[in-house]
Amino acid sequence: MKKETTLVVDDAIYSEEALKLAAYVFEDRFRTALRRRGARTEVRFSGEGAGDAPGEFLNEALNQQCRLDLMKKNSKVANIIVTRMLLSASGGNQKSGGKK
Amino acid sequence: MAVKAAKRTERVPQVYWRDIGGRMLLTNDFGSYAVMTEAEFRRYMKTGAPPSPAFRDKLGASGFLRERLDMEALAAGWRRRNAFLFAGPGLHILVMTLRCNQGCLYCQSGAVRSPGPGTDMSWETARRCVDLAFASPAPAITIEFQGGEPLLNWGVLKKTVDYARSLEKKKGKPLSLALISNFTLMDEKKAEFLLSRECSICTSLDGPADLHDRNRPFSGASSHAAVVRWLKYFKRRSDRQGPGYRIFKPGALLTVSRDSLGRGREIVDEYAGLGLEDIFLRPLAPIGYAKRAWPKIGYSAEEFSRFYAGTLDHIIALNARGTRIKEKTASMFLEKILAGRDPGFMDARCPCGAGVGQLAYDPRGQVYTCDEGRMMGWEGDDMFRIGDVRGLDYGRIASAPASRACCASSNLEQQPMCSRCAYRPYCGVCPVYNFEAQRSLWGHMPSNGRCAVFMGIFDAIFRALASPKKAKILAGWTAE
Repeated sequence: MKKETTLVVDDAIYSEEALKLAAYVFEDRFRTALRRRGARTEVRFSGEGAGDAPGEFLNEALNQQCRLDLMKKNSKVANIIVTRMLLSASGGNQKSGGKK
Repeated sequence: MAVKAAKRTERVPQVYWRDIGGRMLLTNDFGSYAVMTEAEFRRYMKTGAPPSPAFRDKLGASGFLRERLDMEALAAGWRRRNAFLFAGPGLHILVMTLRCNQGCLYCQSGAVRSPGPGTDMSWETARRCVDLAFASPAPAITIEFQGGEPLLNWGVLKKTVDYARSLEKKKGKPLSLALISNFTLMDEKKAEFLLSRECSICTSLDGPADLHDRNRPFSGASSHAAVVRWLKYFKRRSDRQGPGYRIFKPGALLTVSRDSLGRGREIVDEYAGLGLEDIFLRPLAPIGYAKRAWPKIGYSAEEFSRFYAGTLDHIIALNARGTRIKEKTASMFLEKILAGRDPGFMDARCPCGAGVGQLAYDPRGQVYTCDEGRMMGWEGDDMFRIGDVRGLDYGRIASAPASRACCASSNLEQQPMCSRCAYRPYCGVCPVYNFEAQRSLWGHMPSNGRCAVFMGIFDAIFRALASPKKAKILAGWTAE
């Protein structure tokens, strides 16, 4: 049976990126359509799994939003760690004369 | 929940904390820890000063007192504990065959019964895998032979072992060899060959015969009997040693299924009775086949944590009575917590080892970020595939989307809960688990089963460390 549920979220709390990332996580469970309504976003769920969608979607959106907020604070150190690791894995240490 | 030091506690350097049963555990980015009573903790957080004179030296040396921060020494310690950041993929898992002669209830490796296209690794593919492993920027490498049951492809395995040892001599890169087998096809000739090539041998042992045989059925015969017979053989050979080559102690891996939960003591006693000095209490992960079998064999993180804590207590008690046996997860974490060294535990690093610390090669020569990623590939989702061994170098491996995605998403600095967790300096997340369980590489830690399992393990370890008697035993579990 096809179901449809709608949710309205405040843009001051959830960014567009967090909502899109959350929608992507559940793409195999239900369809999600986002529509801007002034300072809010309407989220429409449809498909078989749409019944339980709002709660799970909001949890994931919060998770993504917290991660994005954290990235603003920590991105410098996080990028240094990831770059260092990928450089070592690529043999970049050796190519640059082995200087560590 | 630990919270980073805010302005009102600016007298305190950045610390993380957690209540571990009435006492407060404090950790910091340097990997140091301290345990305080709640009153001591409140005083420390308010003033930044040691809560009592007894704490002064310990807190001072471990980076908890702002006025005594020795940044040079602390940074050197951080680098030692994170030494993997400065090396490349050191672990190379060669899946010699997908075939297996056992039908384990929880098999995560996607084993098949009969030979078919792509089930066995050819010599040509194996040779290329070893070549790629030796091209790794890592200063030393380990090649691990897995399956299925790798002895089902004995001819290629044998040639590969000799080829790898010859490359070790030629290239001067230290090599460790490891075989994981169920021992049902082991014989004296194979054993002698493997020992003489200094290959370490590991098997699976799920506990007493009834439990092991139920988990790992083997066409009417007892799989437990084969395991016990060969564990004794390899132990005997290791105890005696001999001229010419080193013989390693055999190892065994335990996979905790639902049936194991009430039987921790019996399982440990089985290991101790066989003279094994390590037991690895590994939780099941809902990955690959195990995901489908989860309703029958799975359990909650809370159930596993109770099992782990009780079983760890029993192992510590055995040690107190003179039996030498270590729990492997604990000993790897203790290596970080107490010795400040990287134990090479791919599953608990930041970032995780996927693609940057390890590679898994399937029989067709497809290279994956890790064995868990390879299992997902076998189940039909190639998300964690890096490429074909025939066209890869380490520049391509590191820049492959799978490697980069795993590296970025397992960085705890960007995980909302992990970045503030007291166990962050010692822990790691698994993007494959996250994707399988929560459909997101980043996962969602408040409801993540693996996170809850690791929390339970760390709680048990730190509670034990808070007891001086137990801490003394646990200190003996780190490498010399």
